[in-house]
Amino acid sequence: MKTSVTLNVNGETHEVLVAENHTLLETLREQLGLTGSKRGCDMGTCGACTVLIDGKPTLSCITLTVRAQNKPIVTIEGLAQNGQLHPLQKAAVQYGAIQCGFCTPGWLMSAKALLDRNPSPTEMDVRRGISGNLCRCTGYVKIVESILAASKGQVA
Amino acid sequence: MKLPKFQYVAPKSVKEASSLLKEHGDKAIAVAGGSDLLVNLKNRLKNVEFLIDLKAIPKMNQVTFSKSDGLTIGAMATLRDLIENQAVRENYPMLVQAAEAVGTPQLQFMGTVAGNLCLDNRCYYFNQSPLWHAGRDACWKLGGKTCYVVKGSKTCWATYCGDTAPVLMALGAKIKIADPVRAKVMPLQELYSGDGKKPNILKPGQFITEITVPPPAPKSGGAYMKLRRRQAIDFPLLGVAVNIQLNGKGNTCAAASIALTAAERRPILIEETSKLKGKTLNEAAIAEVLEAATSQAHPVDNLLGLPPSYRKQMVKVYLKRTIAQALEAVKK
Repeated sequence: MKTSVTLNVNGETHEVLVAENHTLLETLREQLGLTGSKRGCDMGTCGACTVLIDGKPTLSCITLTVRAQNKPIVTIEGLAQNGQLHPLQKAAVQYGAIQCGFCTPGWLMSAKALLDRNPSPTEMDVRRGISGNLCRCTGYVKIVESILAASKGQVA
Repeated sequence: MKLPKFQYVAPKSVKEASSLLKEHGDKAIAVAGGSDLLVNLKNRLKNVEFLIDLKAIPKMNQVTFSKSDGLTIGAMATLRDLIENQAVRENYPMLVQAAEAVGTPQLQFMGTVAGNLCLDNRCYYFNQSPLWHAGRDACWKLGGKTCYVVKGSKTCWATYCGDTAPVLMALGAKIKIADPVRAKVMPLQELYSGDGKKPNILKPGQFITEITVPPPAPKSGGAYMKLRRRQAIDFPLLGVAVNIQLNGKGNTCAAASIALTAAERRPILIEETSKLKGKTLNEAAIAEVLEAATSQAHPVDNLLGLPPSYRKQMVKVYLKRTIAQALEAVKK
């Protein structure tokens, strides 16, 4: 049984027809064309699907679309504003925090949630803040450096 | 992985939710945060026709504290709500430790306290995909008649792996359960059945609506320690919660409570801990409690990461460390 839901994604309102068993990840990628959020494990253990709902980092692969209605959703596509990359994104590029890039949208969203709550995190705060995002390429060092740099405004 | 088809229902009150759950019996499942249930649904480990969304019920997520009444946690409060709550941080730091030990930041934001208490039991031979299961006869937990963990067992040995339960039990928490006829209140430990297949005693129509914790006793403190391979994501391979109250002078034990998780099919309160009352907490006094806890822990070879023999040995080690941490917390 399909139902019409209203989603607020990156400041825009969308009305989509979804089945009750659709996950937010499926809706974002397949119906709204927002493929920045990735399907990694599809079972809530890797963090590649992380989006912000009401400012809270949320695993969209285990979130029902019908439960995500009427709350502000921010995906990786909504991080850059007015054509300008977010400092976290600039730092990621500058500090070499991206290799294959598959995990990147996920930890950028977790990092945004972290900095919104704790603008001056310690290294441990950052490590804990992204502990829900697995990366198989980098070994996390550059990722942590780039987030710390972004928090300190040390971005070109 | 696609979720199975179901009808999604958002009840507007506890009464509505309770009667819906009773009406549809085992065709209905209540969903809280969904971080445990949805994964099991994707893996077809559970069947569902009606998904009843408890988070749709208003005002189920409040966390309130008063020095006289203690802490009241709405069932749908998230683990993050506990971590960020000033009263919880000041008065029940061991509860914050446990909530912070759960999974990952995302799971702490999504997961509810009641959901963590009602976590389905886990086993290497259960928590697998349909493809994995296609190669084996169904075990007890899947509706079959065998156990791959304890050969010849006539019951399921899936382990209870929640982090907040032992802490709340050590703090003397009670739960309020909604019921179509009359709400019930009981000590938290009575929620658990000790059966790997159906870990809690909730019947159709019943669900937790709130958790209450007594006000912290003077000169008391506690700690929670979690044995795990990785510093995040992992369920516990052993979890130890200790709550201690010292006497007025601070040299003997006035009361103590110890609970373990991931050591059995339910979180266990170690009764022998009451023998510590009136005693100085030295090695000799604690030894008997360590023995009792170790003998009541029955880790089996169903959790990836560390062998059961090691997990059993760690009961004493982690208990000693957690008791030391709890005593430190008393001083603060």
